[in-house]
Amino acid sequence: VRVRVVLGIGLLLVAGALVAEMSRAAPRTAGSDHTSMVAFSASVPGGGRLCQIAPRLSPEASSAQVAIGTFGRQVPALTLRFFGAADSEVGAGHRPAGGREGLVTIPLARRSAAEDATSVCLLVGGKTAVRLAGERGSIGGSSEVVNGQRQGGRISILYLRPGKQSWWDLLGVVDHRFGLGKTSLFGDWTLLAAALGMLSLWLAAIRLLAHELK
Amino acid sequence: VIAFVNAAIWGVVVPPFQVPDEIAHFAYAQYLAETGKLPPHGRGAEYSPQEKTALEHLFFFSEQGHRNMRGILTGAEDRGLRVALAKEPSPVGQGGSTSATNQPPLYYALEAVPYWLSPSHDILTRLALMRLLSALMAAGTVLAVFLFLRELLPASPWSWTVGALAVAFQPTFDDIAAGVQGDNLLFLAAALSFFLLLRSYRRGLTMRRAIGIGAITATGLLAKLTFVALVPGIAIALLLLTWRALPQGRRAALTALAAAAAAAAVPVGLYALLNVVLWHRGGPIAGGIADVTHSRLSAHHVVTFAQTLNYIWQLYLPRLWFMHPTYFSGYPLWRTWLNGSIGHFGYLDYSFPGWVYTYGRYLLYGLVALTVTGLVHVRRGLRPMLPIFACFGMMAAGLLGAIGYAGIRYRLSTGHPFEQARYLFPLLALYALFLILAARGAGRKWAPAIGAALVLLAMAHGLFAETLTISRYYG
Repeated sequence: VRVRVVLGIGLLLVAGALVAEMSRAAPRTAGSDHTSMVAFSASVPGGGRLCQIAPRLSPEASSAQVAIGTFGRQVPALTLRFFGAADSEVGAGHRPAGGREGLVTIPLARRSAAEDATSVCLLVGGKTAVRLAGERGSIGGSSEVVNGQRQGGRISILYLRPGKQSWWDLLGVVDHRFGLGKTSLFGDWTLLAAALGMLSLWLAAIRLLAHELK
Repeated sequence: VIAFVNAAIWGVVVPPFQVPDEIAHFAYAQYLAETGKLPPHGRGAEYSPQEKTALEHLFFFSEQGHRNMRGILTGAEDRGLRVALAKEPSPVGQGGSTSATNQPPLYYALEAVPYWLSPSHDILTRLALMRLLSALMAAGTVLAVFLFLRELLPASPWSWTVGALAVAFQPTFDDIAAGVQGDNLLFLAAALSFFLLLRSYRRGLTMRRAIGIGAITATGLLAKLTFVALVPGIAIALLLLTWRALPQGRRAALTALAAAAAAAAVPVGLYALLNVVLWHRGGPIAGGIADVTHSRLSAHHVVTFAQTLNYIWQLYLPRLWFMHPTYFSGYPLWRTWLNGSIGHFGYLDYSFPGWVYTYGRYLLYGLVALTVTGLVHVRRGLRPMLPIFACFGMMAAGLLGAIGYAGIRYRLSTGHPFEQARYLFPLLALYALFLILAARGAGRKWAPAIGAALVLLAMAHGLFAETLTISRYYG
């Protein structure tokens, strides 16, 4: 009886904690430009412009984040512009001056849903230089271009989904992502199968405990 | 079955190559499977063109070690990966030096089987099948822990299930079991060693058991170099078993000892010989542990015995006032071993919230107190086991010492910490025993209920580690 009571109470607690965790709303990622924030990789003077190839502008993105260093000064106005293959603007965002250095968020508006971005430019307002985080590297075709001058490295841009979302809201998205980048035997069904597998596993383990620990 | 399915699910949850060092372990297995030879461990390319293509299009290098980065999140990125792999880059690499190429080949030779059996030549399908073999080894480890506890506590069947399930759901163990990782065979060989030694101690050293101990020792030595640390303890245990068998027949006991030694030494000797004469891997042990830990230390930089002892002490125990220098900013018992066991996952780039580790420490205090009480309760039953447990203690001390020995050299060589909680997992059988004694500490009446609570806690721990993993890679 003691074992069954412990198992019953434990299961209720775990289920409650799982529901609470799944219901917790927070900003969720919509991907990135696949450049990590390892170091400050670019220095852009006030009024300057940094451009680089964009792997794509995530269709789920409603804002972008860059890590910026301002040497203790206020963050200047920042404008992001994404361009498609024919140099047409497919998305843009602006953040007015203000706030402290670190990870800053720039709200985005996508102008064209059909066309994907091929390049992105960041316009830095104000008069003083800022530094941007990303990966350093040798000068190449995908390197950043600051005021027309190619430099070694790329800056990191993270994308966020709109507002705050719980895992319940995101279930369909996570289900889709879960099947990507794995063996082609997997697909949208894989997360559901894994969840059912886990559930069966729990039932089997609880049954085993209830039976063996009489 | 539960352990296998759990590890297999972990293998589906963790994205390709995101298990610690999986890229290097896969590269070794792929080279062996494709060429029939061991990697020459030289300056050539580390990964095959096929693996390199997969890693680049999975955005592995930007994602690895960066918690806010993700791999493939869109259908377009997935199509990019498929298109790149459809160009059929060569699966044959150059076997260049990685963190795994100095290791012995047994795990990789076994992983070559699912690699060959894969119905598809797609690298990701092969990886998924190879991960299943790791899951099978993890299940074998759990079974060995079950058998160990059954041998030790035959009158407490509840303890066998509790100990085995607690190991099966340990998330750091499952994180390794999820991937192509040589540690999986090491953990299996170590758990089987504990079981076979205990069985031989209780039931006597027969020829079959002696050969079994030797064979498992050879398996461990050919699985991962770390197993060397357990060998002195195993050797002393074998001598103890032989001494206990002498009254039943001197000749039979000594023959069994010789058989165990031969079963261990012959395959290892053959491997060492082949390393020199056939595979030309730079010596009998292909560079050994030193190749990984301190190959970059300058020739005149000698790490003294006193420094090594000092480091080993500080790695597990509070630093004493006369110990200089201070090697760690925090206390490794908590930061590395406890917190790492609770969970620092992937390439150590994501963890639980801080409060989990704080409460984990409080829980440990409670468990230690219960274990001490449990030891008092079962002291009579365990007293006859003290000699073999002294040998287990030597095996554990050997492992702790070896981690510290390698750790100080690696740290001085690279400036980075070496130690990870998983390095202690060859001692999983003792971890299970620790939990059983804690349950027993609550008294005979309550022991099964506390055992059930501990298993449920382990299951919840595993479940939330999986949701954490899903949020890390897909959320």
